[in-house]
Amino acid sequence: MGTFIAIVLAAVLTNNFITVKTYGICPFLGVSKKTSSALGMGVAVTVVMVLATLVTYPVYEYVMKPLKFDFLEIIFFIFIIAALVQMLEKIIQKLSPSLYNTMGIYLPLITTNCAVLGVAELVINDGTMEQFLSGASMNIGWAVLYSFFAGLGFTLVMIIMSGMRERLNYYKTPKALAGFPTAMVTASFICMAFMVFTYIQI
Amino acid sequence: MNLLEFTTQTWITVGIVAAIFAGSALVIGALILVVSKVFKVDVDEKITKILENLAGANCGGCGCSGCSGFATKLASGAGDISDCHVTSPEKKAEIAKILGIELRDEERTVAVVKCNGGATNCAEKFEYNGNPTCASCASLLGGNKMCATACLGCGDCKEVCPENAIEITDKLSEVNPDLCISCGACMSACPKQIIERIPASAPVYVACSSKCKGKDVMSVCKVGCIACGLCAKSCPHGAITMVDNLPSIDYSKCTGCLTCVSKCPRKIIIKRDVAKTEEQKTA
Repeated sequence: MGTFIAIVLAAVLTNNFITVKTYGICPFLGVSKKTSSALGMGVAVTVVMVLATLVTYPVYEYVMKPLKFDFLEIIFFIFIIAALVQMLEKIIQKLSPSLYNTMGIYLPLITTNCAVLGVAELVINDGTMEQFLSGASMNIGWAVLYSFFAGLGFTLVMIIMSGMRERLNYYKTPKALAGFPTAMVTASFICMAFMVFTYIQI
Repeated sequence: MNLLEFTTQTWITVGIVAAIFAGSALVIGALILVVSKVFKVDVDEKITKILENLAGANCGGCGCSGCSGFATKLASGAGDISDCHVTSPEKKAEIAKILGIELRDEERTVAVVKCNGGATNCAEKFEYNGNPTCASCASLLGGNKMCATACLGCGDCKEVCPENAIEITDKLSEVNPDLCISCGACMSACPKQIIERIPASAPVYVACSSKCKGKDVMSVCKVGCIACGLCAKSCPHGAITMVDNLPSIDYSKCTGCLTCVSKCPRKIIIKRDVAKTEEQKTA
């Protein structure tokens, strides 16, 4: 139970993907103008993160490690994730056109998203995961749990950001700061707010 | 087993790595092929053909999410081509042919702002120093203008216009008919609802939306319609009728004689520079 809570807290708050690790900044700044699209992007990233971990973790552990070409992990993971997203897009388009219309448009954007590659990399990195596991041995269950809650943390920050940007639209900003510069300032404030969570002792 | 220790020669190791990539690319490629075969979606040929003929402005004026949404709606039998105000009549005829339906005759339309007030002509209720959008200004006692249907001049219409066709001069917005695609974005953005569509070839338009009686208008606005009815009486073709204290012009009867323009005591029936506009469109 302790490990479970540690992983959830780490993935959502203390090691949040956007604000602490600065992964996935492109969707964070690009798709956060509206809450609806931010939510769609967040859900899509969460789904792809879980699926990517489900595939890359076993491939790494049972194929790449025994055959000793695990140093190719980054290129291989990009390979696998890109193919996975392509297939997922096709499958969703066939099975549920309505889901495809709301979420499918974000899938091509995720193909080479650093947050997805980041979670696949982190769960195979012993040094990163050890601090949350507190002695328990790493397995695919923990990996998927971590990736799912990392996705939720990503969605959380996306929604906070889009909510703030929507509110900021009501105010006239100085011309030099209007638009993207304001978004950068907003992003820095959110990141500073999330620094508080790094003091949580797990 | 260590794949990379079969040999000590570097180039063979590189070859092995390349082979690993080639092999995995083959496997993944085959997987994608199988999935795309199994989950193939039959896209209606009609939709792609209609989409080719639509203007592609993605303005959302039809109420759908972009042109592809509108094409899907049209292909399914729902929706009306005339909902799109951007596509040219020739292209619409092409779409009608694809759908196998008759196309109604219709003319290109443009939006006009039916107010001539601005900062100097229309009196103000109070000085507004709030958030400079029409929507928030209008939510405060219906805006800072004495006239209930005056242009507030904060430029909500300018913000939403996809073609940058709207200019704000002296707290009054004006649509440039050469750039206007009649998508209707400004019409729905205006909290006062004083932007309307008129035919692009219309020789005149009424630049006032006030439905109040003459005396009330007289006291607040220098250029408001006082509902005297001179235009309706003087029009030689009977194209103008008075509706709700405002002249309403039937453009099918209007010949462009401009009698109303010269008769109007408040100069609110405005002559449009049609010849130039239409020339530019055909050129």
